[in-house]
Amino acid sequence: MSDKFSRRDFLKLAGVGAASTAILTGCGPASRYVTREPYMLMPEYNYNGQSTFYATTCRECAAGCGLVVRTSQGRAIKTEGNANHPLNLGKTCARGQATLHGLYNPDRVTDPIKRTRGNAAGTTVTWDDATQTVADALKNYKPEEIAFLMGTTSDHLFDLLTDLSAQTGINSPVRFGALSMFEARATLSKAAENLFGEAGMPLFDVGGAQVVFSFGANFLETWLSPVSYTRGFAGLREAQSKKRGTFIQFESRMSSTAGKADEWLPLRPGTEALVVLAIGRLASELRGGPLPRAFADVDPADAASKSGIKLETLEHLAEMFANSTGALAIPGGTALGQSNGLAVAEAVLALNAIADNFGKPGGVFFSALAPNQTEYQRSASVKEMQEFVQKMADGKFKVLFVHGVNPVFELPASSDFKNALKSVEQVISFATFPDETALEADYVFPDHHALESWGYQRVVTGSAQPVLSGSQPVVSPFYNTRATVDVLIAAAQLAGGKFAEALPFKDEVEFLQSKVASLMSETDGFFAAPDINTFMAYFQQYGGWWKTTDARTIPNTADVLNRNLVGAEAEFAGEGEFFFVPFVSPTLAEAGANKPWLQELPDPTTTVMWNTWVEINPETAHELGLEDDDVVKITSEAGVLEVPVYRYPAIRPDTIAIPFGQGYTAYGQYAANRGVNPADLLGQHFNEAGDLAFAGMKVKIEKTGKKQPLSRLESIMGVYGVGLGEEH
Amino acid sequence: MIRPEEIKMSAEHVGKWGMVIDQDICTGCQACVAACAMENNISFVGEKDSGYGRSMHWIRIERFWEGEYPEVKMTPNQPMLCQQCNSATCEPVCPAFATVHSQAEQLNLQIYNRCVGTRYCGNNCPYQVRSFNWRDYERPEPLSNQLNPDVTVRRMGVMEKCTFCIQRIHKAQDKAKAEGREVVDGEFTTACAQACPASAITFGRVDDPESLVSQLAQRGHGLKHLEELGTLPNVTYFKGG
Amino acid sequence: MAGYNKKEEHAHAKAEVHNHGEEHFREKHLMLDPLPRGQMNDMVMESMYVTSWKFWVVFAILSVIVAYGLFFSWGKMIAEGLGIAGVNRPSYWGIFLVNTVFWIGISHAGTFISAILRVFKAEFRRPFTRAAELMTTFGLVQAGFSVFMHMGRVWLSYWLMPYANQRMLWPNLHSPLTWDLLAITTYLLSSTMYLFLPLIPDVAMARDRSTGWRKTFYKILALGFRGTEGEWAHLRNAMNIFAFAIIPVMFSVHTIVSWDFAAATRPGWNSSIFGPYFVVGALHSGMGAVIMVLAVVRGTMKNMKYFIRAEHFDGIGRLMLIISMAWAYFFFNDYMVQWYGGDKWTQQLLHFHEAGPMGWMWFAMLIFNVVVPWAILWNQKWRSTPWIVFVVGFLINIGMWFERYIIVPISLSINRMPFTWRLYEPGVEIPLGIGTLAFFILLYMAASRLIPLIPVWEVQEGQMAHELKKFGRETVVSVSELE
Repeated sequence: MSDKFSRRDFLKLAGVGAASTAILTGCGPASRYVTREPYMLMPEYNYNGQSTFYATTCRECAAGCGLVVRTSQGRAIKTEGNANHPLNLGKTCARGQATLHGLYNPDRVTDPIKRTRGNAAGTTVTWDDATQTVADALKNYKPEEIAFLMGTTSDHLFDLLTDLSAQTGINSPVRFGALSMFEARATLSKAAENLFGEAGMPLFDVGGAQVVFSFGANFLETWLSPVSYTRGFAGLREAQSKKRGTFIQFESRMSSTAGKADEWLPLRPGTEALVVLAIGRLASELRGGPLPRAFADVDPADAASKSGIKLETLEHLAEMFANSTGALAIPGGTALGQSNGLAVAEAVLALNAIADNFGKPGGVFFSALAPNQTEYQRSASVKEMQEFVQKMADGKFKVLFVHGVNPVFELPASSDFKNALKSVEQVISFATFPDETALEADYVFPDHHALESWGYQRVVTGSAQPVLSGSQPVVSPFYNTRATVDVLIAAAQLAGGKFAEALPFKDEVEFLQSKVASLMSETDGFFAAPDINTFMAYFQQYGGWWKTTDARTIPNTADVLNRNLVGAEAEFAGEGEFFFVPFVSPTLAEAGANKPWLQELPDPTTTVMWNTWVEINPETAHELGLEDDDVVKITSEAGVLEVPVYRYPAIRPDTIAIPFGQGYTAYGQYAANRGVNPADLLGQHFNEAGDLAFAGMKVKIEKTGKKQPLSRLESIMGVYGVGLGEEH
Repeated sequence: MIRPEEIKMSAEHVGKWGMVIDQDICTGCQACVAACAMENNISFVGEKDSGYGRSMHWIRIERFWEGEYPEVKMTPNQPMLCQQCNSATCEPVCPAFATVHSQAEQLNLQIYNRCVGTRYCGNNCPYQVRSFNWRDYERPEPLSNQLNPDVTVRRMGVMEKCTFCIQRIHKAQDKAKAEGREVVDGEFTTACAQACPASAITFGRVDDPESLVSQLAQRGHGLKHLEELGTLPNVTYFKGG
Repeated sequence: MAGYNKKEEHAHAKAEVHNHGEEHFREKHLMLDPLPRGQMNDMVMESMYVTSWKFWVVFAILSVIVAYGLFFSWGKMIAEGLGIAGVNRPSYWGIFLVNTVFWIGISHAGTFISAILRVFKAEFRRPFTRAAELMTTFGLVQAGFSVFMHMGRVWLSYWLMPYANQRMLWPNLHSPLTWDLLAITTYLLSSTMYLFLPLIPDVAMARDRSTGWRKTFYKILALGFRGTEGEWAHLRNAMNIFAFAIIPVMFSVHTIVSWDFAAATRPGWNSSIFGPYFVVGALHSGMGAVIMVLAVVRGTMKNMKYFIRAEHFDGIGRLMLIISMAWAYFFFNDYMVQWYGGDKWTQQLLHFHEAGPMGWMWFAMLIFNVVVPWAILWNQKWRSTPWIVFVVGFLINIGMWFERYIIVPISLSINRMPFTWRLYEPGVEIPLGIGTLAFFILLYMAASRLIPLIPVWEVQEGQMAHELKKFGRETVVSVSELE
């Protein structure tokens, strides 16, 4: 990646060239005749030069899948899954594929910028000035006035900041991401803690199960670790050793995960806990023995009438669950994002106790702690973020560093992050892309894109083995950007004193080496090395380090069934007549909107591209006099949105749903001013675990009379029979 | 003058390529679509054109609805791509021989620089998997840095379609030839099959009875789309369920 | 002011003598109403010379339409791509192909009238063979424009020509489009020659009666024709050969155009009756166009009321009625066979034709192509009235355009992959289509100023051969064999 071209490089290239010439021309006597066939063959019959492959880690979400990036002449051409990587075994999702459109995005922040807040234009500063600015910010303020807000990726940066805060007293870094908000991670781990006495991220072995009941968990889309869970799903369906597994999904709107289910049960939002407990009770009765206390209080008939699922269906499901040798229940997503989300999560985890699947194939485990990690960490819940925002608003934070997250967009508008930001004296963003938060910052010191970066990411869940997934630059930085870790190290040196002592590194790589050095002494790693340089070389070559052994732990389930579980219905905020379900767009997720090919991917359920829609049951739409593409005004207690209608046949008539992932006002030409952000409708209501009750809103719908055609890949005529006299 | 049928008849390259798609485990996640777009330099066309049947996807995932709420069901996702028919209807109708059958690989080639854009092949493809470059779709700099140098960047006015990643086939075949062996099953695969998180797509040599794709294709309840037309597709589907 | 005005008064005066045998025949039949040859030649020359200001206004408007609609829009489309048109997946072909088929259809009537009627010696053809032949050539020009517009890379269209070249490109002779290209080229060349041959004596006449640039122009066109017996014999031979040879070309060209569709696997296209169905459809629209042209020529050009009379509208009207019946038969046959085939996609398509969002077009097609001609053309008085047959011809042309529209973009909307079904919405096709229409009219108007629209020698020949004879009380038209 340097401009210098050494003699050695030349010889290497010449050798490669000669070899490929020999291969291409075939070497045999016949191939001495060169046929000129310019218009006869596909140009693909010839190829140019040789590619170089680098292993690194995907940072499109926090899962930590391993990538191998094909580069040619210093350009990144294609991302592939890292076939050795235990989490994704060579597979990627669409967002991993499109990460290159982030790397070569036309709207990246190209230089360090100083700007007046809210003003898109800024003045370019030098990196020396930038480093000095960071150093001054660290030095000139009291440690407790300095805060870091981070995204869910770049664990090495998180470790650096954690070390820095431990030694200098600045606030420890807070991590947040819209995905973790919609996954309700905090609820899931809190429920595990309540039931099993231990915090951690449960791991559901979908692939080994026979019957899977999923309560709102969209594990084939964005939930926790989609690639790994999709592999599990394939195992559920395809495993050679057993019969095809059954998959039942409970949720009010058919997600693309539910679309794959053998049965989709559109229960009334808020009745999940009742349904789970009812199934638990009926299944326990079928299994015989004393009725567990956990399920004793619920009345199945009552649950059936409240949820809208027939009692016979519940009985049939309970029978299926009780009689299966490998039943598994998964809580997640919308089921947890309600006022009683914690109760739902606990009930679902408890349901697994009936199947007695803890620690067994096809059952529930605790995910292994990642290497060089001592305890389970999770990103902040929205309630915790709210405390953070409150501190900002109260002026307790004078300096805010933001990296890898766009809270102005990702937090609900009701959190009022943007206003709170005004009370912070100095905001420094390390954004790679000009997002809304970077626009509200005083400085933007752009970090490299993930593919230009060093680092590592811990695999929190999805893999049986503990995995530390390594990142390395696959191409040299395209713009005048600098690694945030390097900036912080340099700034700490400039600031001197305890800062310099806290980060005594030459550069990012030295810091990484210090962090992974401890792994050299581990015995069951899949590679070993005698010294740190060799170890790092392997670490880069293989794309990380992982153990060869299964390190999942078995939850302590001694008293799961003896707990009192509450089967109350969830409470809903707001006046309207419709339950409101925001869901994460499976293709765009939280930060995909600026990548044009992700925009052009059709949504798996609606096939809509490039925009936001609201899903309304055709019956309801008919009653409201709505057609496809009619723009409706949706009002909640927290906000108002205008969005075009998609008549979705697989949603409850009393429910509407809007995908999250669009509605940016900045973030580049492909994202800005496109669609709406359903988080604008969300009020500040939380469940017991502090997660936002994002599925706990009620909203009103009004027709506006406007039309906005949605781009859809599917045919309205062919799929819905419009104009063929056989609608729906 | 050489006629296109006569070219590339050399016996050096053996292998008849085919694909098996398991719809039961396809989750419709669009990873294959994105992977295909990245590998094959497919243009994105923007909101207006993509909503007007002009999107360039070489592979698309179809899904239909059955029944009405609450008994509504989504049919198994159906990835639809060029079926690389052995008796392809697109080939005879092209006046310029731009879409021809390769005897060597048993694939339908689309030779972009021969194409004059009559779009007859698109009409005559019963699977509707051909995409036409209605415009010179813009790729703002520096997005073009991502372009795969092994794959042509198509310009306005030419037809294009899935090639079974022929650049990968050739790379693997040349490598195998240089090493004096045949291509090993699983040595390489298409971009879509490589990305698919559920491994719903399997690609390989269908003339090799030992290959995974042949083994899967012989499982018995596979179907080929629109078989009644006699197109002899090389893609086998399993509806499953 | 020579000639016809006087004659007209004369005729009017005579018309009062009602039911007087001879006068009645004279008034009715051009062939029995001879004028001195010199006078008739002058009348034709005058019809070319006398140009009203209205002509130039229309000419200027059409020129603007052609410049914008055809050339500017086409240039824009070449620069920006077919994206500015309405074509999409699955309707890869749109109005361009509709117009191609439509214009080829229009071009059919010219040859039909001039060659077939010549071969069958239908005497009423004489005054309007040229008007019809001009339609053939000019219609084919528009068809060519439409098909070239349709190509994605029109600048490479010469690649479809079979000629030895270093690109080692040879057109695919399996492709119906290659057949098409060859057939249309053959048709264009032969119909142009067939237009030119009977023109020679007339331009020779014009050469002898003009001065200045016109004289030079006609001198070149006339190829030194003097009217010697040998020249006439050669000319007649050539015309006979062309008249017989061009008929199979005419039938083949539209049959081959129909194979573009019939040879494809699309539901609704793959029909073995398409060949004759298309030929009859072409004649249907072509006859409609001829009758419109005649009505306009008669109404706007000087001296034309003498040459084009009710008898001609009556004759073409009868032909139209018969062709309309034939079309209805083939339509029914095509529909029946496709429906009876039982293929679910085809049945869905047929259902879509009638009940889909464009169903109105299907019904309009049937009304314009069948109901209107059947209802009106039965009546001899109506079908002899120029404005009525003009309206009928216009409606038939609309109906036939609808028919092609139903076959091309509407049938393409429905295929075997329901996921891709999508309606077609025309874009720049509309200015381009109007541009070709304007260009057609423009060419016709220009031609009307430059070459005699009436084949004078043919009329005169006919008039010499016809005479009224009285046998007892009976007056009959007697024709002597000239050729």
